[in-house]
Amino acid sequence: MTDPHNTPEPNTPDLVQEDQKITKDDPRVVSRRWMLMGFGALLNGVVGLAVAVPVVRYLLGPVKRKGAYNSWISLGSLEQFPAGETRLATYENPFNRPWDGETAKTACWVRHTGANKFQVFAINCAHLGCPVRWFPQSSLFMCPCHGGAYYADGSRASGPPERGLFEYAYKVVNSELHIDAGQMPTLSNPASPGQQAGNNNLPVINNSPKGCGSCTG
Amino acid sequence: MNLRFFSATGFSALALAASLSFISGCDQAPGASRAEVVERPDQITDFKTLYTQNCAGCHGNDGRNGAALALSNPVYQAWVDDATLQRIISQGEPPTQMPAFAQSSGGMLTDAQVDALVKGMRTAWPANGAFNGLTPPASQPSGQSDAAQGQKTYQTACAQCHSKPNQQVTDPTYLALVNNRTLRTLIVTGRPDLGHPDWRGVVNGQVQPGYPLNDQQVGDIIAYLNSLRSDTPGQPYSPHSQQ
Amino acid sequence: MHWLKDTYNWLERRIQLEGPVKDAILHPVPKNTASWWYVFGSAAFTLLLLQVVTGILLAIVYVPSGAEAWSSLQILNHQLPLGWFLRAMHGWGSNFMVAVVLIHMAQVFFFGAYKFPRELTWILGVFMLLMTLGMAFTGQVLRFDQDSYWGLGIGASIASRVPLIGAPLVHIMLGGPIIAGATLTRFFALHVFVIPGMLLAFTGLHVWMVLKLGVNEWPMPGRPVNRKTYIKEYHDLAHNDGIPFVPGAFWKDLVFSGAILAAVAVCAAVFGPYGPTGQPDPTIIQTVPKPDFFFLWLYSVLSYLPANLETPFLLIAPVLGIAVLLALPFYAGEGEKSWHRRPVAVMVLALVAVSWGTLTHLATFTPWSPVMNAWSGATVPAKFVHNLSPTERQGAVVFQSKQCRNCHALGGEGGQRGPALDTVATRLTEDQLIRQVVQGGGNMPAYGTSLSPPEVTALVRFLTTLHPVGQPGATDASRADAETNSPPVKAQAH
Repeated sequence: MTDPHNTPEPNTPDLVQEDQKITKDDPRVVSRRWMLMGFGALLNGVVGLAVAVPVVRYLLGPVKRKGAYNSWISLGSLEQFPAGETRLATYENPFNRPWDGETAKTACWVRHTGANKFQVFAINCAHLGCPVRWFPQSSLFMCPCHGGAYYADGSRASGPPERGLFEYAYKVVNSELHIDAGQMPTLSNPASPGQQAGNNNLPVINNSPKGCGSCTG
Repeated sequence: MNLRFFSATGFSALALAASLSFISGCDQAPGASRAEVVERPDQITDFKTLYTQNCAGCHGNDGRNGAALALSNPVYQAWVDDATLQRIISQGEPPTQMPAFAQSSGGMLTDAQVDALVKGMRTAWPANGAFNGLTPPASQPSGQSDAAQGQKTYQTACAQCHSKPNQQVTDPTYLALVNNRTLRTLIVTGRPDLGHPDWRGVVNGQVQPGYPLNDQQVGDIIAYLNSLRSDTPGQPYSPHSQQ
Repeated sequence: MHWLKDTYNWLERRIQLEGPVKDAILHPVPKNTASWWYVFGSAAFTLLLLQVVTGILLAIVYVPSGAEAWSSLQILNHQLPLGWFLRAMHGWGSNFMVAVVLIHMAQVFFFGAYKFPRELTWILGVFMLLMTLGMAFTGQVLRFDQDSYWGLGIGASIASRVPLIGAPLVHIMLGGPIIAGATLTRFFALHVFVIPGMLLAFTGLHVWMVLKLGVNEWPMPGRPVNRKTYIKEYHDLAHNDGIPFVPGAFWKDLVFSGAILAAVAVCAAVFGPYGPTGQPDPTIIQTVPKPDFFFLWLYSVLSYLPANLETPFLLIAPVLGIAVLLALPFYAGEGEKSWHRRPVAVMVLALVAVSWGTLTHLATFTPWSPVMNAWSGATVPAKFVHNLSPTERQGAVVFQSKQCRNCHALGGEGGQRGPALDTVATRLTEDQLIRQVVQGGGNMPAYGTSLSPPEVTALVRFLTTLHPVGQPGATDASRADAETNSPPVKAQAH
């Protein structure tokens, strides 16, 4: 490395040369310093670990036990769902934040098969979660993403899905339709996980913004 | 030093061009107008967009040459009233293939959008003077109709074309897919794009024998066609071949 | 000008960077590396800087809130002067960056530059590619429009396929039970802090190693890499037939980087910003989500995978692919660098490029997806409407109203999931058509329960008219035979 300075400023020590002037210390002193540095490193390690555990807990915050996100949600009056038809219904997800905006809303398909018997399908395609659309004329749900299609009862008709549409558990309370919902259904997160454990003691939340989304106006 | 000269002038020119284009309003660049606002699908009230997305499939571009009724037919536009259009778009027309489009009937359109379609049709396809001062048969059937009389009228007014093998309307399959309103609409307003005359019966500038049809005659023809309906329409083999 | 020199000297005495910088820029490189083939790495770096700058400028306005992100982009696009241009620069910069990084990687592979002693440079590069793709995906999420929302849904659905931890993984990824504000904020942190921080650090190390290990010499057939002799060979090459890196090779880097920046700016000015598409309202179901350009190939793959292969493929293929890339310099760390002597490498590169191109091309018109509006929006071509009998014309209406058109094209319009039906009557007889409509099959749903007999009959009558004028439709020979030669058949039946 060459010194680029032809005319060093006066009264300024040349730091580079000063650096190289450090002489070797007594080996015993060095070993004590190394030991102290080891202590310092250990201390940092322990404290770091102690701090990291809460961070992991913080990052795992969204993970809850199965079904903890679910509750009974009212989709509103049964009258919105004529017998024999399949209608779009929307509700506000019970677990939401003030800054969620319209993403707090969720849609689902309600099929009234007659005599207070329903099928409530998740909007999400069982393949990769895209929104399926109901076509009453051909009695099919079609997915716009990868071409999944389902029959009126939610069973797979064609395309890449490996199963039928996800179905929410429902019950009729005071001529209102309630569904057990709260999380985006995927292959490992069932639409209504509580139903498998026979858990019917979920809190009831009545926050359907407009009830049946296809019945406005 | 040629290179240096070129790069120097080149870069100054580039820089100058760039700053000039920004000063002169880069917001006029073609990219600016490509940043469109995507409307919510339920907020679209532009007739052309709504018609193209929802109606053109069956009723054809510009309301003609489609598989279903020609909406741009001025006679049809003059004959049909707003309330009927509104009701048919909203609730569909079972048992024909016309689906219900209003959200209240399980469709995708809001009431405002249905209104926009009705108003848009009236503007796009004006009906002024379509009747030429004549009074067409009413849009609602009135009085008693007589199938036997209808058959006679059919023979005079319709059979000339409809007895051709490719023009059969007496086919029970066809009749199962249309209702009385479809038949009445077709007989009264016609399909000018397909050469089917309206109730005045003008084909190639000549009034055909038996025309114009009056209200009674239209009702009779429909009654006659109704008498031809089958209990098992559209079965692939006729009952004879099944023995 | 004396004061300028004094100031410089005053600063340099304190910073003392002149020596290392001079070392770095004046180090000799083999003469033939001063090539236009060697400009992509520096261009990627320039684009990274562009992304950092434009990203910071966008962050001044952008609001990472589920409720407001979309509106803040609208304000950028329409209310702030040249806000649209900055968004366009950032969006096109991202496209160019992914493209240039891929080209850079292909070139390094093609030139055997990953071989000894540059194995670690390559490995860092693989991670930098993953981070670049991560930036592209998270950036698409920040747009927080419908494509972004449902793209997250696809991501969550893929994560849910991981065995055992799939369910918690989805919730960690989404920051809660559903795609919402919490999802956006975590992707914001990834896009703005985590990945760029790592990417910049990796870039520093990557460049450092390029300087220390030298720019890869132009590969010559018959000059294989040998661990024992390579360092000395390279040293001799660089010193005996070398030039200083600056300006000998660097001027091409500079010119190309400038050209790339200009290309980004032109694309931004002409084509404008990306979206946002419609607002992220999951109750709007009239949407056709699509990923950004560089993920289109994946979109195609996901459509063509058979259902029973999907989960294994999704979980194993990426791991395998990355492992192969990481293992490459160890497996092939020595030997020939020249493409003249590496036919397998050339074919692999060609295969990857062609597959990628094909899958991307397919995803631009998604032949596997129903066209959701075709039934009501795609007109039956007039030539198919005229000269039909009334029943056949009703069949055409049935064809539209029962959404057949969503999957079957007529006159080039409509879905491509099923075959186009313009000449279907030449392929299927009436009976075959009826069977296909009623029972489905071959990935077509069965329509037997949603069509009445007259609807089926009218539809099939319409379909039997779909043949070219001079070419008759297919007929069932045995049916004609049965009609003309019925007596013997009947005799046997009795």
